[in-house]
Amino acid sequence: MRRLLSLLLIASLPALAADELHLYNWNDYVAPEAVKSFEAQCKCKVVQDFYGDNEELVAKLAAGAKGYDVMVPTSNYVAGMAKAGWLQPLDKKKLPNFKNLMPTYLNTDFDPGNKYSVPYAMSITLIGYNDLKMRELGITVDSWAVIFDPKILQKIKGKVTVLDSQAEVMAAALKYLGYSVNDRDPAHWKQAKETILKAKPYWAAFMAQGYIKELSTGNIWVVHGYSNDIFQADTGAQEAKQKFRIRHALPKEGAVLALDAMVIAKTAPRPDLAHQFINFMLEGKNSAALTNITGSGNPNAEAMQFIKPEIKSIKAVFPDAESAKRLEQLKDMNKKERQLLNKIWTEIKAK
Amino acid sequence: MNRRSRALWVAAIFAYVFLYAPLVIVVAYSFNDSRLNAEWVGFTLSWYGKLFHNEKMLKAAWNSLLIGVTASAVSTVFGTMAGYAMYRFKMRLLPLLILAPIAIPEILMGVSLLIFFVLLNISLGMISIVLSHIAFCIGFVAIVVRSRLAGMDESLTEAARDLGATPWKAFQLVTLPLIMPGVIAGALMAFTLSIDDFVITFFTAGVGSTTLPLQIYTMVKIAVTPEVNAISTLLMMLTLALILIASKLSPGSLRAE
Repeated sequence: MRRLLSLLLIASLPALAADELHLYNWNDYVAPEAVKSFEAQCKCKVVQDFYGDNEELVAKLAAGAKGYDVMVPTSNYVAGMAKAGWLQPLDKKKLPNFKNLMPTYLNTDFDPGNKYSVPYAMSITLIGYNDLKMRELGITVDSWAVIFDPKILQKIKGKVTVLDSQAEVMAAALKYLGYSVNDRDPAHWKQAKETILKAKPYWAAFMAQGYIKELSTGNIWVVHGYSNDIFQADTGAQEAKQKFRIRHALPKEGAVLALDAMVIAKTAPRPDLAHQFINFMLEGKNSAALTNITGSGNPNAEAMQFIKPEIKSIKAVFPDAESAKRLEQLKDMNKKERQLLNKIWTEIKAK
Repeated sequence: MNRRSRALWVAAIFAYVFLYAPLVIVVAYSFNDSRLNAEWVGFTLSWYGKLFHNEKMLKAAWNSLLIGVTASAVSTVFGTMAGYAMYRFKMRLLPLLILAPIAIPEILMGVSLLIFFVLLNISLGMISIVLSHIAFCIGFVAIVVRSRLAGMDESLTEAARDLGATPWKAFQLVTLPLIMPGVIAGALMAFTLSIDDFVITFFTAGVGSTTLPLQIYTMVKIAVTPEVNAISTLLMMLTLALILIASKLSPGSLRAE
């Protein structure tokens, strides 16, 4: 018994040891080889913990959890986290590789001047489709019309899924109608609701995750989903030696961008290592490593030369400057707006 | 076989299929040669190979084992003491205090423990997880031990006392050996509860203390690979083995009375 306790103590000791960086991140969201080479360079150890949702990270911090150095929230959470006093300002002098980032993804409303956050990787909410089926049916996938226009939908009835997320579905409908994803005009929302209700009878389901498998097995032909997931679905389809491929389509009207960013905790035990880590991850080669595994979008210009050609060629995930302009990040809503959206969503789900 | 008993058989078979078919599928797909695991592609052992090279997964499994062993050892000692006290002294308040953590919704216990640790400035990590697991395991051990004590012949302890044993000697030499199967069954139960607890662990985990259930849960963002099936299979085997051992050691303790 006493031996057990001392064993436990020994096991928890490294947490107090000097040269450790504590990374609190999404699972599988950093390339193992990048971590290894950072450990070799800094002669320290990277200890990783994981969360599955931004809300979990926020809940943990709100309760007063300490000890993390670097965290990777989605950008629209950065403002709130900074306001709550959980983040420390970055010392740009220690981040010479900051210059590698593309200006399009810098200086957002969530963190003006990138005082607290550095873009890490991103996903775009777009359309994924079965190329063979679309060719057979003669449908060109380049617009949200594939998800919302009954004229097109009748050809693919029951073969379409949309995300089970009120914010995302609403944003897509607003984009289809030509508004901003952050449009808060109740009249526009009503229009969006009607658009959704007209399209809903043709949809197979609202799906948060399951569509990856449905796409790769060929059960579902068109999805409203995250670019990373659609990449996984395509990988799955190729592994299963399907006759079709799953392709990304960035709707011409624009889409939602989710930019994950690295931040340093105010209570970070090792801000020096944290800066070193962030700078390291901004090196083109290390930044590219994640994209090569997950198919995530990459805000790093220097990374491009290291990204596998077959991934780099997916235009929807690596948009040109013109298309990138039509990407928008979701902003937080106030309480009243959220209530209204909840009500609309209930009506949509109930019908 | 009359009609009613046939109907009962059918109902029983349905119930067992419902309970075990998902588990069988999890095990079968741990041998599937597809990363996405959407449909059967071919047989492979590679996921087990990958698993044994996956440092994150192994670290999480090690954490879980360490927490499980420590928490079950400590809670067995306290749980046995509590079970004995409940049996011996017919207390009113103690059973309530012991059983409350079992009845309280886990999420409530998780949140309140988190707030408690932060308030006391105990840093979250392995130690806070172990303490929480001990807290909810004690009750389970106490129940098993008490039910074992209830089936014991009290005159044996009295005889020992008559023959001049001190209360402690009588407990050590007579009572404890008699209730040992219950104690061991309680310990195993505590171990299995600890090793697959998610909710309380989620709230009380801190830096560098990701356990297996936390690790598996957070893999959802990128992709759940068949490595999860592989580790689930191993975990299932471990849990099953422990339950078998427990039921062998103390057949009565795992059955309803």
